[in-house]
Amino acid sequence: MSPYVPVAIFLGVAVAAATAFVLVPGLVARRKPNATKSEAYECGVEPTSDVGGRFPVRFYLIAMLFVIFDVEAASFYPWAVQMRALRVYGLLEMAAFVVVLGIGYAYVWRKGGFQWR
Amino acid sequence: MPTLIAPFGNADWLALAPVLVVAVAPLVVLLADLLVPRALRRTSALALTALALIVAGIVSLQGWGHPFSAFGGGFQAGGFTIVFQEVALLGALLSLPLAGRLGRDDQTGGGLALLLWSTCGALLMAGASNLLTIFLGLELLSLALYCLCALAAAPSAREAALKYLILSSTASGFMLYGMALLFGATGSAQLAALATGSGSHVLLALGSGLFLVGFAFKLSLVPFHVWTPDVYEGAPLPITAFMSVVTKAGALAVLARFAYAALPQADAQALLIPIWVIAALSMIGGNVGALAQTDMKRLLAYSGIAQVGYVVAALAGTTPLGLRYAMFYLVAYAFMNLGAFGIVGLLSRDHEEGSRLTAYAGLGHRRPFAAAAMTFFLLALAGLPPTAGFTGKLLILASSVDAGYGWLAGVLIAGTAISIYVYAKIIYAMYARRTGTAPEAQAARRPEPLRWLGVGICAVAVFVMAFYPLAPSDVLPQVK
Amino acid sequence: MSPMPVDVLNYVLLSAVMFFIGVGGVILRRNPLIVLMAIELMFNAANLALIAFSRVYENNAGHIFAFLVITVAAAEAAIGLAIVVVVFRRAKHVDVDDVAGLHG
Repeated sequence: MSPYVPVAIFLGVAVAAATAFVLVPGLVARRKPNATKSEAYECGVEPTSDVGGRFPVRFYLIAMLFVIFDVEAASFYPWAVQMRALRVYGLLEMAAFVVVLGIGYAYVWRKGGFQWR
Repeated sequence: MPTLIAPFGNADWLALAPVLVVAVAPLVVLLADLLVPRALRRTSALALTALALIVAGIVSLQGWGHPFSAFGGGFQAGGFTIVFQEVALLGALLSLPLAGRLGRDDQTGGGLALLLWSTCGALLMAGASNLLTIFLGLELLSLALYCLCALAAAPSAREAALKYLILSSTASGFMLYGMALLFGATGSAQLAALATGSGSHVLLALGSGLFLVGFAFKLSLVPFHVWTPDVYEGAPLPITAFMSVVTKAGALAVLARFAYAALPQADAQALLIPIWVIAALSMIGGNVGALAQTDMKRLLAYSGIAQVGYVVAALAGTTPLGLRYAMFYLVAYAFMNLGAFGIVGLLSRDHEEGSRLTAYAGLGHRRPFAAAAMTFFLLALAGLPPTAGFTGKLLILASSVDAGYGWLAGVLIAGTAISIYVYAKIIYAMYARRTGTAPEAQAARRPEPLRWLGVGICAVAVFVMAFYPLAPSDVLPQVK
Repeated sequence: MSPMPVDVLNYVLLSAVMFFIGVGGVILRRNPLIVLMAIELMFNAANLALIAFSRVYENNAGHIFAFLVITVAAAEAAIGLAIVVVVFRRAKHVDVDDVAGLHG
């Protein structure tokens, strides 16, 4: 169990420190509230609505396209690491992959998937 | 000297050729959709799709008698694979004439590309012999189908698509975790490695249990079937027809290969008993569920549940004969089911799909040919002569009694008895009363040669197969 | 201090716990986006098990499998989002129970 002792100590210190930071100011500090002090923090714009509101559909579409092209980028890494070992064959495989992806990209583009309307 | 490192040999290319045709064709369809003038888009997309499916079918047949393998043993070509591939391609091709209303006009290209990719997944599953290819094929098939189900504009179709997505992905999750445990049992992703029986028995039992639960869901066998009627009802008609044949062909191929080639001889019969019980439940549950339906698509969904139950029952005992008869019945089912969907398509009008059962009342007097064809297909689904359904059921009965599963044969007969009542009710409604709806519908009817061609092919096939119960004989060695 | 090798059983147990949290999420939560996340959790539980077994048997098929699963899960998430968007374009709440137009 010895490798876990440092972890336990670390967790204990973290919990103790966080509790102290939250509780001690409440016990020690003096309170003299006035209107200006009770406002939202000094900089930035007053929030106009609740954060939990609904996002426009467009955000979801962008998120969707992002997820796809993001994972596609991840597919390049294994090839990039082993590029020299895979030689021409690997290059051709990736070229085929990019062509397939390119056709998909062209299709989304022409169908207006990237338009922010 | 730099050499081309090619894990692919000539045999690999030959084995994969049909899959590759159907994988590349959608790209051409998408490009054509972008480049062809607007007026020709729909026609060109349909023509390209049909061409790709036919070419793939011919290419696949070329492989008969050449049991090649690809992906380092992850994909096996040969007789077994070819039969399932041809069924999938046939299902896709014959659902095309129904595609009058596959979403909006500008969605046709994309929709057909997805349909081809979905078929590609089924072709991959037909030959998949390691866990990776099974998963890849299944997900390719399913992911494209989720989108296709959402194509129809009706809110019910989209709700059905969401339901299908969530339930089906959950099933994929179960199956995937089962695969991970199976991989853990032997340390190899090859199905053949599982069969050596060297690995951990606990992991093997747990893994194959989860795996089979996932597949029972994909095949919509009875405790896992609740999604089927909703999705069939909500999806556009061609997609419903496509699903009822292509997904079942793909999933049955994997199930059959798993049952025959992946389980160690010592454990196989014990591990597979739940599947035979599920098949029995499906034969009864599917037909009982069909009793209460008022919608043709829902009725065909329940009917399909029972039909797959018959096919799985044929595999009971994993005898070589059972596999051949299961394949025969699957082909017969594909034809009779597509034929029935063809008639539903013929009765579709612009505003409503002709899927309410009330649309069939008095059909025998209004459209005698359509009613006659529908009667024939319903007789086939019920398993009465002179149809392939009758021959197929006789063969399954013979093989399951032979394999020592007499109780399954009994359940099959009981299920058939219930189903005869279901179908007889529709046939009676078609001929009983002369309901005088809509002479104007008579006048407005357009000739539909393509749909009639599809229905005709199905009818001839169902009739001919009744007398020539040809079951491919050399398939079993190629499963392993 | 060198890291102690962790027994593979621990990984498999962790993955089982993750898997059942995912199953619980699918069954209990009503928001389709959360349900999709729970499904991702099930997939990733399988990934963890695959990678752990891959290390035990020193067979990289598990790594390839896990990579494939990541790709498929991304496609699944994208399609899931798309379908959620079309279904709920008009609806006020995003809740699975609202999808009640079809009854089994």
